[in-house]
Amino acid sequence: MPGMRLARWAAAVPMAALALATIYPLVFTANVAMKTRRDYVLDRFSPAASPRFDNIAEAWAGAGMARYFANSFVVVAFSVLLLLLLGSMAGFALSRLRFRGSTVIFLGCLAGLFVPFQVIMVPLTRIMADSGLVDTYPGLILAYVAQFLPFTVFLMTSHYRTIPAEIVDAARIDGNTVYGVYRRIMLPLGVPALLSVGILNTLFCWNDVLISLLMMPSPEHRTLMIGVNSLRGQYSDDIPTFASGVLIAAVPVLMIYLFLQRRIADGVTAGSTKG
Amino acid sequence: MAPAVLIIVVLRLWPLVLGVNFSFTGDGELNGTPVGLGNYLELAADPLFRTSLRNVGLLVLLLPVAVAIPGLLATFIYLRVPGHRVYRSVYFFPAVLSPVIVGAIFNLMLGYDGPVNAALGAIGAGPVDWLGDPDVAMFTVVGVHVWATFGMALVVFLAGFSTLDASLLDAARVDGASLGRVIWHVIIPSLTRTIQFVFVTTMIGMLTSMFGLLFVMTSGGPEGSTYLPEYYIWHEQGQMNRPALASAASTVLFVVMLVVGLLQISLLRRSGRQD
Repeated sequence: MPGMRLARWAAAVPMAALALATIYPLVFTANVAMKTRRDYVLDRFSPAASPRFDNIAEAWAGAGMARYFANSFVVVAFSVLLLLLLGSMAGFALSRLRFRGSTVIFLGCLAGLFVPFQVIMVPLTRIMADSGLVDTYPGLILAYVAQFLPFTVFLMTSHYRTIPAEIVDAARIDGNTVYGVYRRIMLPLGVPALLSVGILNTLFCWNDVLISLLMMPSPEHRTLMIGVNSLRGQYSDDIPTFASGVLIAAVPVLMIYLFLQRRIADGVTAGSTKG
Repeated sequence: MAPAVLIIVVLRLWPLVLGVNFSFTGDGELNGTPVGLGNYLELAADPLFRTSLRNVGLLVLLLPVAVAIPGLLATFIYLRVPGHRVYRSVYFFPAVLSPVIVGAIFNLMLGYDGPVNAALGAIGAGPVDWLGDPDVAMFTVVGVHVWATFGMALVVFLAGFSTLDASLLDAARVDGASLGRVIWHVIIPSLTRTIQFVFVTTMIGMLTSMFGLLFVMTSGGPEGSTYLPEYYIWHEQGQMNRPALASAASTVLFVVMLVVGLLQISLLRRSGRQD
């Protein structure tokens, strides 16, 4: 293609600029987090004179972030485990067991995928309140499971469809119960998909704002993201400490990203290509 | 599988029915009594709700930009611009950050004395009140949303490219086609399905996952200029204690999403057939 070489190099410039625009906000925030308040007011751009971690310690202790972390951790861990268990069981049943109504049920799960949370949030909050589940860990966990289960079932079903039916039949002939087939065969064979879906669900639940805002109103039950937002009021005149809090909250996700970015991308694309 | 189905039906599909039903009843003292279309008439008269719908229109207008950016970038990465491997991971990383973190970072970036205005100052442009000017704020929030999410669409595009028939590109190269012609005549027609998928998911993302940014960055202001239906629903339900009115808004949002989704699919189908 004439001009290809030129176009490639011409594209490299805006692409590099965009990469900088992607990274710089985080670098800026990290730099601010290392500054003293005085340095920040005088010059917010210069590199922090000597990196200091006082702000980080202050944000961690002063804002009670340990509590938010623990809340988020418990809720996300249970939600994701439940999602994987229920999702893989349903995926197995829908892909490899023949029973009446399976198509209807699969379509029902798909329909769930197209109902955004905003559309059902009023009645869902009401159901949760009527069941006494608002402001409890099980309530939020159940809300997350309900929110992300259709997606999980969908991905697990399409993953299990790629596994030859003969394997299931052979295991049945060898005398396994349905449950035995699930535990001995489908669960181990599902591991790659379970990993991708698990990581995605972890990110979804960990990053969520709206659902936890609705389901966990009291301050001591706040999840990390709501906690971080409440730092804003507390440290409105101490931006470096606020930036530190933001940074602390971003670190776990950045770590996951650094180590597992391929899996995250795989999970995102699995939904698009298998559809 | 039964528990999965139970959760999806009870906590996702059933609330949809409940919500629609609920939207025809009154709030407050009229709690539970049928009011017919009362809530819908009230919505139509509410300037805040009208703004939120106008902003949906704005999102639809900005949608092609939000799809074209990742599409073009994916094209250049596919054509192996220098550094293409790095760009893929750099561009994707904001997509894993929570809207709360992104919002907090950009509150620092877009401050009156922040880096963005400093950069504008360096090229001689005046500072902009990014989040305080009613004419600008919505564009700012959409811009930040695009910053945070274009990596998702990029990865989906790249997955689409991996299914592209390389011999078509080679043929075009032999024929001496220019880059623009290759994109128009080879890449776009071959990726119709991917482009459709990105259009629909980007639109859904804009309608349903900007709550976190709105919550952190503008709280709907200034002067209500950054309301979206999802923020309106949350506000009426949680802050104003008008759940039935919020349900009516939810129903409108659901209809808007269905219409936009179906319209996009049929439009893209038609343009796909012409090629």
